[in-house]
Amino acid sequence: MTARGTVALLAILGALLAYLWLFEVGVPRTAAAPTDTEPLLAVPSAAIARVEVAEPGGRLTAIRSGAGWTDDRGRPWRDDAVSDLVDTLRSLRPVMVVDPHPATPADYGFADDVRRLDVADGGGRRVLALEIGERNPAWTALYVRRAGRPEVLLVGGVLGWELQKVHDAAPAR
Amino acid sequence: MKVTMHLCAAALVASVLTNAAPTRAAGDDQPWVLDANNWQEGKDLLPDPVVKRLQKGEYWFKVSPVDPQKFHHNYSQAFWDATESNAGKYDLDDKTCGLKDKSTGKIPEFVFGQPFPTVDKNDPKAGCKIAWNFQMTGAQGGGGGATFTLNGVDTNGQFRRIKAFIHSRGFQGRHFGQLKDNPENLEGEGIGGALEPVDVEGVSTLTKRTWDWESQDAIWAYVPSTRRARRVNAASRSDPVAGLDIFSDDLNCYGGKVTYYQWKLVGEQTILAPFLQPYPFPSKSVSPTRQIIETPYMTAGYEKPGSKGAPWWIQENLVFVPRPVWVVEGQSSDPYYNFGKVIMYFDKEMYRIYWKLVHNRAGEYFYTAMCGYHFVKNDEKFSAVFPNLVVGVNDKTNRAALGGRFQSSFLEQNWDPSYFSLRTLTHMTD
Repeated sequence: MTARGTVALLAILGALLAYLWLFEVGVPRTAAAPTDTEPLLAVPSAAIARVEVAEPGGRLTAIRSGAGWTDDRGRPWRDDAVSDLVDTLRSLRPVMVVDPHPATPADYGFADDVRRLDVADGGGRRVLALEIGERNPAWTALYVRRAGRPEVLLVGGVLGWELQKVHDAAPAR
Repeated sequence: MKVTMHLCAAALVASVLTNAAPTRAAGDDQPWVLDANNWQEGKDLLPDPVVKRLQKGEYWFKVSPVDPQKFHHNYSQAFWDATESNAGKYDLDDKTCGLKDKSTGKIPEFVFGQPFPTVDKNDPKAGCKIAWNFQMTGAQGGGGGATFTLNGVDTNGQFRRIKAFIHSRGFQGRHFGQLKDNPENLEGEGIGGALEPVDVEGVSTLTKRTWDWESQDAIWAYVPSTRRARRVNAASRSDPVAGLDIFSDDLNCYGGKVTYYQWKLVGEQTILAPFLQPYPFPSKSVSPTRQIIETPYMTAGYEKPGSKGAPWWIQENLVFVPRPVWVVEGQSSDPYYNFGKVIMYFDKEMYRIYWKLVHNRAGEYFYTAMCGYHFVKNDEKFSAVFPNLVVGVNDKTNRAALGGRFQSSFLEQNWDPSYFSLRTLTHMTD
């Protein structure tokens, strides 16, 4: 082999290594990450004192009082919708991590006006903050993200049912 | 150019004709069609997963408003009189949701009619009362049977068909009073088995439901190849039947004892309720104790070339009546039961469940069942309501199963006392 041929082969090898480094090794792997197996809410239901749902149409606030749940103006919530939501959050575990590093979060419904759920305990400590994205295509589950974390989780569609109940049971706005 | 103009004119005419289909604003008394063209009119009349398919053109609905008074009389006057006289008689056991006779504090000896003629939506026990009204309304016929099919259908058509039969006898809730002979203290019993294809012929089950608050159903399954009857767990009602997207618990949209679920009333609305026809079919006596009911077949899309919508959608002999319903959640605490939260839509007056949405134990929604019925009545002394259709749709796999659609069924007031037995079960293929 001539020196020119050796140089050409080395150049090809260098290009291949550069390709591997730039486009394969350097890119975060998108293979399924380990499933987050913890329940969405890990504290007892009785410890929860405040639930807020922020959505494009406004904000729903539920504050635990002696007589049950009221809004921030002291008006009672109808039915047990808020308690049902808290119980559901305690029982729901993510089904899977759909995308650990979403390139376009809006594809999952995480746009600027995404619905947000905040849950706080009696000391005002935030114990759960979720962004609620779209339903998955089969409509069986919802995409959610824990606030401040990039990974997109899939949780059972029963969360959507409970959020709808909370919305329907809100004191007149 | 001329051809193009003709095509444009034809398209315009077609568009006008399409828009002129009998769609209409809700509130009118005339029949109308709900489909993808006017899906917005149905978005509050159907569960969300069903609206999704309506919007995509997979489902369409022939909506047939009814005269509420006439519809009320689909049940006999004897049934409504008994319901009225039940006011104040019954209560519920706090622990189990079992029905309790107020005068004795125990389970009543015999109940006929709806035990709770008035349900207050603010009553914390409202969900359980609704479930009892449902159970006793369905039991009014007393017993009977039918030969029916189970059809597995996917987006390409039918992939499996099973022909089967079911026979049942009810001891509670029946017209004409209590049966004298009930040594096992049963609420009801039933036997069912597969007839076709030959590889499942003779596979059958026997179920006995005790009239108490806490016991599980006794269920035996018989497989001819092993010639053995084996006791199976009552939670198997939530297992798929023959690998299809349908469950034993889909019969009437809920097939268990009332006490198996925790019930919670969460709302009320109007919903489209499926019926073979809105008013009763007559029955024809063929013996002093047996009446036959002939009903038309509900053809599905996969059986009718060129039909509109999903292959499993019913094309003929099905109408949808707007009905006021209670929205009720049910949940089992049995760890062997496969379903998590189940959302059911109960008629506020006729106490049938028309739709149910099922979540699995991980909270994923996966399944909707639509449950259709027909009424039977000749006079004001007797009536019955038959479950004649289940369309079970697994939204996770996009497959469905159809159950029922029988053309002949019967009512039987006097079964042979030894019929519902292990002996019958194990000699099914003799």
